[in-house]
Amino acid sequence: MPKDTETRMIVIAPSSSVTPDQITRLIHTLSAEVTVKETCYGAMVEGERAEVAKTLEAVRKLDPNRIFSKVRGFPIGDARRCRAHHGSRPGFTQLEKEWECLSLIEKGVTCAEKGEAPPEIPRRQKITVEELKRIVEETG
Amino acid sequence: MKVFIVPPNSLILYDLVERYGHTPLSLMGAISKRVMNPEIESPPINVTPNDVKKGLKYAGIEVPSGIRGRLAVWGPLVDEAEAAIIMEDAPFEFGCVGCHRTDEMIRFLVKKRKIPLLEVRYPTNEDEAKVLVSKIKSFLEGLK
Repeated sequence: MPKDTETRMIVIAPSSSVTPDQITRLIHTLSAEVTVKETCYGAMVEGERAEVAKTLEAVRKLDPNRIFSKVRGFPIGDARRCRAHHGSRPGFTQLEKEWECLSLIEKGVTCAEKGEAPPEIPRRQKITVEELKRIVEETG
Repeated sequence: MKVFIVPPNSLILYDLVERYGHTPLSLMGAISKRVMNPEIESPPINVTPNDVKKGLKYAGIEVPSGIRGRLAVWGPLVDEAEAAIIMEDAPFEFGCVGCHRTDEMIRFLVKKRKIPLLEVRYPTNEDEAKVLVSKIKSFLEGLK
């Protein structure tokens, strides 16, 4: 495998109407020299770094604030990670949880893009002695 | 600028750092260099016995080899970093980043380097997410 190869995960936020199938079809139409694999969360792309970057740029245009991406350590179909070969997926729990968060992050990105001021969140206060006493008495 | 992210395999941080024009230093990038380099080991292993020795630079000999092995991968990233973003309260600190002692060590190493650092929390609602992205954006824009 050439040294300047990169594998990328493309993850679609749950709030997006774009499907993994749309992404893979789009990548096929680009005729870029990359390998693409459709997954449950989006797609994986592998190829020369510059080609992957170009592909990613085109994919992002589908839904800029709801399509996220990160590098993947292992190549596509690597026997140590691929489910088809009963590989382990230690990073999948993190990906799954962060995927759930992406709809929130998308709102943040849109807010920052519009230049809106973020809402003020009141700081959590310490519990008062009276409140603590009330809780203790209630729980008996 | 090169920005180290914690959790080091975070999709959210990786994407945001790249989106706002910087280079994220991540665990995936470090692992990728190891498993795709044909010279390293055959079959390639994520962490080699040599790495555990390299980890001695970041933690003492009495520290378990699992922590030293992780630090051998993450430590050089901290050394290379010009800024860092730490996202606290990850509700899923298990799996490959699930070693709490390594997490503590890495936070210590980042703070010891005295590089620009942003500490934020995982969002639980829309307002928190807006604050999080706005903080990350202004931090990253300030680095330029």
